[in-house]
Amino acid sequence: MEGVISRLYSFLYIRGFKVWITYRTQVVLTILSWILPVFTYYFTGTSLGSHLVQKTGVSNYTSFVVIGLAFQGYVSSIITTISQRIRNEQLYGTIEYYVISRAGVLGFLFYSAIWGFTLNTISGVITLLIGLPLGVIYHIDVLGTVIIIALLILSTLGFSMIAGAITMIIKQGNPISFFFSTFTTLISGTVFPISVLPLAVKYISYAIPLTWALNGLRDSMLQGASIFQLTPTILILVLFNAVLIPLGVFTYNYSFKLARLKGTLSEY
Amino acid sequence: MYYNVGVFGMGIFRPQSAISVQKVSKTFKYKGREIRAIQEVSFDQPKGSVWALVGHNGAGKTTLIKILSTLIIPSSGEAYVNGYSVTKEEKKVRASIGLVTVSERLLYYRLTGLDNLIFFASLQGLSLSEARRRGREIMELLGLGNWVDVPYMKYSTGMQRRLALARALLTDPPVMFMDEPTLGLDPLSARVFRELIRQISRTKTILMTSHYLKEVEELASNIVVMKRGKVAAIGTPQELKRIVGKVVEVKVREIPPGMGKFVVSSDGRSVTLRLPASYVDGLRVEEEREVEPTLDDLYIYLIGEQEEGERVERVRRGGGWTWRE
Repeated sequence: MEGVISRLYSFLYIRGFKVWITYRTQVVLTILSWILPVFTYYFTGTSLGSHLVQKTGVSNYTSFVVIGLAFQGYVSSIITTISQRIRNEQLYGTIEYYVISRAGVLGFLFYSAIWGFTLNTISGVITLLIGLPLGVIYHIDVLGTVIIIALLILSTLGFSMIAGAITMIIKQGNPISFFFSTFTTLISGTVFPISVLPLAVKYISYAIPLTWALNGLRDSMLQGASIFQLTPTILILVLFNAVLIPLGVFTYNYSFKLARLKGTLSEY
Repeated sequence: MYYNVGVFGMGIFRPQSAISVQKVSKTFKYKGREIRAIQEVSFDQPKGSVWALVGHNGAGKTTLIKILSTLIIPSSGEAYVNGYSVTKEEKKVRASIGLVTVSERLLYYRLTGLDNLIFFASLQGLSLSEARRRGREIMELLGLGNWVDVPYMKYSTGMQRRLALARALLTDPPVMFMDEPTLGLDPLSARVFRELIRQISRTKTILMTSHYLKEVEELASNIVVMKRGKVAAIGTPQELKRIVGKVVEVKVREIPPGMGKFVVSSDGRSVTLRLPASYVDGLRVEEEREVEPTLDDLYIYLIGEQEEGERVERVRRGGGWTWRE
């Protein structure tokens, strides 16, 4: 247990916060990047007018977009952060020290992800709080919300492991990171409902856990839907995780083994 | 040809061996080509000793260190570190070793020396208080006591290298691997670092690589000379020097065919060669004097032809060049 606490402290405070805070301009820009998109979409929604927005099946666009932005960033930035982290450690020459450490490569990913989750939790909370003065009214079912967030985090970890494995093998040009940083806003129902998408793209949306999680979170946080009402969403997310977590662990471990076989562990 | 003049060199696992390498080979594939980085390397290093791997660039020294550190999986053969198999007991091997490598950064630039050590100690499972105590203790030991709270990026290269050594010592491992530990250090920093290695070697087994043969002679009880992925010779410095036999320095008008690797200098009129006395027969020598054999002589004798072509070409183009430039 002491080891876990010491690693949490090291990854969150020492390598996370202490390094992050030294880049002050970057800190300011990052915080602005959390806040500004909410206003962008708020004014988009209000300028279009409620009549037009309601045609897409959304009754309150600001509420819709606030939930979307709060949790979409959560997923995309963590996945890209993990890939970038692996690449950075290769550049720094420290990746080999993670491999031979007791924490191992899975520990490296897990604890690195926790820093990403922490930052994005702050970002998510700020986004949700900005929603209040913009007229968003929350009716939160805490248990259902927590379960969906936990399942979303697990699926994100699964994708992070796959993205990390790809980085370890191909070094640069990661399609998983690219997809999550670019396309999730477009197809997972973040800033507009997926009902407006062409049928083929809609099917891709359904293959992304975030799409289901955002639906569930809108229900649990805006309408206070209970865990029983959320059961179908929860079951689908559990199914995603049943596939993504083992697949992620396997591909991640395999990629490191492959790198050790090819002698490319520290190549970048 | 393979010289095994030492006691431990046969690659047969002995209980007293800290490192046992048994017919280890590693082949990499690159663009459809097979590159044999290491070929059937065997040796046994006893506990508590300092051994050095020497050889030309690409001889396989770093690959072997990485295999022993479980960072590269061998193609065939087996190796044991602290009695554990590097292919079957990776976690136990990793718990037994400290690794010092050469890289541009190695640690986190924006963190202090102590924070870097606390971070890496936590990876090894040390509690926070233990990590802090151990970090301070080792920094003090390595002469970095006044630099505990200074960011790593403000350290000189020599201090950065010492902090990398401190990281390897955090868990007090019985076996240390050091890949070119003094590479790029100024003479004073290198001397400080060598003294640290000497101190550490009192309680640990050390396997190091180096291109500095004087340093190797100073630190290592045994030397493994590698050439093109194979072991060319193993033994103590004295034993290895005996392989070369009597060494002489001679002046000749032209470089004799196949002798380019023995060229020491050229002044445009004559060429000075330093070579085993047995090679002098048949040469038209202007001057000759016997010199004390060194590891440089052994290195050139065993490995020199790797760079021979280039040297001969440079001497022929106008002289005025020295081997030790």
